[in-house]
Amino acid sequence: MAFDEKEDSKKSRTRFKTIMSKKFAKIGSIFLFLLTCVSLIIYGDFLSVFNEKTYYTPDFSRTPQVEYYDLNDSKGDKEGWRTGDRVVFCVPLRDAAIHLPRFFNLLGKMTYPHNLIDLTFLVSDSKDDTLGSLKDELNNLQQHKDKSKRFGNIEIYEKDFGQVIGQSFSDRHGFDAQGPRRKLMARARNWLGSVALKPYHSWVYWRDVDVEVLPDTILEDLIHHDKDVIVPNVWRPLPDWLGNIQPYDLNSWQESDGGLQLAEFLDEDAVIVEGYPEYATWRPHLAYMRDPSGDPEVEIELDGIGGVSIMAKAKVFRAGSHYPAFSFKKHAETEAFGKLSRTMGFSVVGLPNYVVWHIYEPSTDDLKHMEWMAEEEERINEENKIKEFYEKIWEIGFEDMRSSWEKDFHNILKNVDHTKLQDNNRLKFSVDWEDSPEDYEKITTESELSGGNDGSFDESDPAGV
Amino acid sequence: MAKITPKQVVVKILLPVFTLILIGSLVLGIFQTEPVNGGLPINEHKWAHEDENSFYFPFSKKFSMPKYIYKKKTKNWLFFQSKQEDLISQSHIAHYNLNDLHSTAEAALNKENVLILTPMQTFHIEYWNNILQLSYPRELIEIGFIIPRNKNGDETLKKLEKEIKNIQTDKKESRFKKITILRQEQESDSFNALGEKDRHSLAVQKERRSKMALSRNQLLFSTIGPYTSWILWLDADIVETPTSLIQDMTFHNKPILAANVYQRFYDDNKQKEDIRPYDFNNWAESPIGLELASKMADDEIIVEGYSEIATYRPLMAYYYKANESPTETMSLDGVGGGCTLVKAEVHRDGAMFPTFPFYNLIETEGFAKMAKRLGYAVTGLPNYLVYHIQE
Repeated sequence: MAFDEKEDSKKSRTRFKTIMSKKFAKIGSIFLFLLTCVSLIIYGDFLSVFNEKTYYTPDFSRTPQVEYYDLNDSKGDKEGWRTGDRVVFCVPLRDAAIHLPRFFNLLGKMTYPHNLIDLTFLVSDSKDDTLGSLKDELNNLQQHKDKSKRFGNIEIYEKDFGQVIGQSFSDRHGFDAQGPRRKLMARARNWLGSVALKPYHSWVYWRDVDVEVLPDTILEDLIHHDKDVIVPNVWRPLPDWLGNIQPYDLNSWQESDGGLQLAEFLDEDAVIVEGYPEYATWRPHLAYMRDPSGDPEVEIELDGIGGVSIMAKAKVFRAGSHYPAFSFKKHAETEAFGKLSRTMGFSVVGLPNYVVWHIYEPSTDDLKHMEWMAEEEERINEENKIKEFYEKIWEIGFEDMRSSWEKDFHNILKNVDHTKLQDNNRLKFSVDWEDSPEDYEKITTESELSGGNDGSFDESDPAGV
Repeated sequence: MAKITPKQVVVKILLPVFTLILIGSLVLGIFQTEPVNGGLPINEHKWAHEDENSFYFPFSKKFSMPKYIYKKKTKNWLFFQSKQEDLISQSHIAHYNLNDLHSTAEAALNKENVLILTPMQTFHIEYWNNILQLSYPRELIEIGFIIPRNKNGDETLKKLEKEIKNIQTDKKESRFKKITILRQEQESDSFNALGEKDRHSLAVQKERRSKMALSRNQLLFSTIGPYTSWILWLDADIVETPTSLIQDMTFHNKPILAANVYQRFYDDNKQKEDIRPYDFNNWAESPIGLELASKMADDEIIVEGYSEIATYRPLMAYYYKANESPTETMSLDGVGGGCTLVKAEVHRDGAMFPTFPFYNLIETEGFAKMAKRLGYAVTGLPNYLVYHIQE
């Protein structure tokens, strides 16, 4: 029995031991499991290195005039400012000297790391000193005391294409000018884009110089959507007599059946342009989809886009998409860029509630109206002056008798024979309404002299009519 | 058991049920209607611009953009950043006048830069030796390669690296002005995903040519620089050209000029070495070709050399006459990429290699069409031969 007991206690002890060791093993395994989980979460990025296939990278660091680039390094991250994505900022310029100070002011305030932004400009067909002003502004910019405010590589290109049309608002925006003008601008953009894009660029940002209001975070705001091509909405301010604001960029739109039908009837080289009654396409425009109090993150798929502010992944341009300088699906330049990029399978979106404000340039009609308004104001001023003057003269030259009239009235009638008063002491003046032939003769001669109507409507006497 | 008539069913069951649902939905509707304009009376309504105190605001202040974090994020913290940031000069302002850029008949004399572009899936030493024997001054030659993102590309790259290092670390006079090597972004972009055998079958042509076009565009738009006057498209399997290739071709001063690509082979019947035409992408348009295209769907392509699509186009490959002048030219509508010289302005204007059916044409043939749409002529040299490698 005792033996049994001993055996038992031994057994139970060993059992206890095994239980304990099992428990420890359990806790240990749970602990290990948790540890791996945590480390996986923390170092997940690191582990992805093993999943990704790594490829051979040659080392040309000691070989002169040879460069190697892995395009996979510059495919564009939605947090590009954290991963060191370089942005090439492309600005086409023509006669733009007056716009440059405003542009550089906005540029300097941008929050995207400046050293990751390469600036490129194309100066073409400029009669003013665009190039000189540009160089001055750039020198100022790059001599900023704070080195982190300086930009990356800067390239200025000059190329003249010959001008088809003038550069005033109405010259540029007239209907007939649109086709050739758009094709020419497309060429200019392609010359800049093809030479500006380097293998290490991840994003390409196209901006017009004449933008007035936009957020400092514009690059981040557009990049974080992680789309191949993305544009904000573009409006412009107007004078109050024109309603304060107006959608500016009508080149951002979705294709419609009306547009496709119209395209079929046009000849191969025709270019459809939006916003002109000659080509009614009934397309929904991004500009008109704006809800001023709506969410700025809302995206809308587009087919054609405008060129005021385009953010695109560099791979879009690297794959060959560009601004067609010929009629591509009956469009040219930025609108055709949208269509071409869609054809090549890239996403093209617009932000209806995120608005960039273009400057206001008055059209010829607006200028006429403004001139008329200025004249009108001057006329009213002149009139008021004369009125004031007359009022003064009036006061000096004439005595105001109105207050004393009541008294004078009685004085005048003082000597009237009261016995002749009729109808209960009330004065009665009688007017002689009878007309005599002499009266007519007199009036006829008067009307002949004045050549006007004397107000009589006697049908029997046509001379009076 | 009382008989239930349909009328009773309607009156006793359906009608009350329907009425109840109606009343219920009305009651619910009253409770659920959202007050218009947040319950504010109309005279207290504020327009967006009144809320913002301005007409000109980018977006409503009711919303805000995400808080952006600017702390550096490295993909693999173990290794240092692979991006080459040091290469890019900071705070440097460069000025180029592209009006001074010309491409003329006397290219070498005017010191015009030529960019040789080659999408390379396999490295042939014969190709490289042929490049080295070109007599055009090397300080005016830039070369660009694009290599597929796969193991095969690794092999090519290693061989290429060795040869390039030999030349570029040699004495200054023998170096090329610049050599750029690109690795494709994705494995799926690889233009040699198919074996040699089935790479010419009609069904896979569209996809293959599309990837080829993509790689050409990636190469072109990464390497074209401010001094580039001419671009020579030379395939990696062109192994024999005249020494004066660039001078001969620039001499014609044409926007787009294609040499005739032939192949040497051993003719078993004749028991001797002979040559045969190789590249059929150089052609002039035919009425039948145009008619074929007009009947095709927009997303289909016409390719030469398949009996399924008989275009009866005049192919430059068959216009070679051994006894006639090599400077003979003929007008073309489609070109191949074997050995084609292009003025840089054609590409700068936007002529690229369509990766999609463009007028039912793709890649180099689509490029010729696009250049024509931009107003450039396409020309061929039927009697000027370059040779494709023997397979």
